[in-house]
Amino acid sequence: MDETLYIWSAILGVTAATFIARSSVLLLGERLQLPPTVESALRYAPACALAAIVANDLLFTAGALDLSLHNPRWLAGGVAIIIFAATRSTIGVIVGGMVAFWLLRAWFSG
Amino acid sequence: MREMLPFGPGVFAWGLVTGVAMVKSGLSIVESLGLSLLAYAGSAQLAALPLMAVFAPLWLVTLAAIIVNLRFVVYAALLRSHLGHLSANTRLWLGYFTGDVMFARYSALLAEEPDYPHRVAYFTGGATANWIIWQVSSIIGIFAAGAIPTSWGLELAGTFALLALLIPLCRHRPAQGGVAVAVIVAVIAHDLPLRLGLLAATLAGMTAAIALERRLRSPAT
Repeated sequence: MDETLYIWSAILGVTAATFIARSSVLLLGERLQLPPTVESALRYAPACALAAIVANDLLFTAGALDLSLHNPRWLAGGVAIIIFAATRSTIGVIVGGMVAFWLLRAWFSG
Repeated sequence: MREMLPFGPGVFAWGLVTGVAMVKSGLSIVESLGLSLLAYAGSAQLAALPLMAVFAPLWLVTLAAIIVNLRFVVYAALLRSHLGHLSANTRLWLGYFTGDVMFARYSALLAEEPDYPHRVAYFTGGATANWIIWQVSSIIGIFAAGAIPTSWGLELAGTFALLALLIPLCRHRPAQGGVAVAVIVAVIAHDLPLRLGLLAATLAGMTAAIALERRLRSPAT
């Protein structure tokens, strides 16, 4: 298979994957009945999924777990949480977290 | 759509990073644009890149993307009861446009106002805004790939946006317990391939949260 054809086939494959994962359950609609326990457990899905993503991003540096005081990522995450508690501002968390990350990193490497 | 704006910078940075990553892994500009506009799947796009670079079998690329997207199956299971009355065609497209940020905002709204009357409009508007911000930033990333050094760590901006979504969802004890378990499992399962650790952490956290909810609700014995 030539390269261009391969790449475009792969692009279509990933597109199909998006539809399959996101829409298939929605399309089943009311025909699929879930047990009540599962239904109520689903309410916690977003918090748990977000926590797992954020933990992966903040607690690891270069693929290894790093809980030391020299990891600017989770320290900046802590700063971001404090900013959110104080201001309730999403933009404050993003900008403040990034600035904290850059400052801490510069400090540790300097 | 206004609800989505505070998350704009985070989504924007994450799209920018994905755009840069696609070009840096060897896709042409047209191919990168195609992947971004069609697949619309940040982490699945990133997961597919190394596989495409070594010409992995197509079924493997597709399967990998499905597995990276598995958390959306869980999201969709929750949305199902709210959007189930819509036509199949509408549901197909609403599903496609569901991103992490959109989903978290929507579930936060439902927690406050379970019978919010304009929820379909809310969902459509938010999803549209998310799609536009994502695509614009990806396209900028694709064209600016040479000029943006990866050492900036811009991808962290996306992480902080998710953090801002997460905190308000942790108001109650069961959610806090579930989040704690999810973090621990995510750390333990970090080395699983295809981000399966993410799915394991989500399911473990949900199980812990519901167990805690039961305990708190049942009268003390």
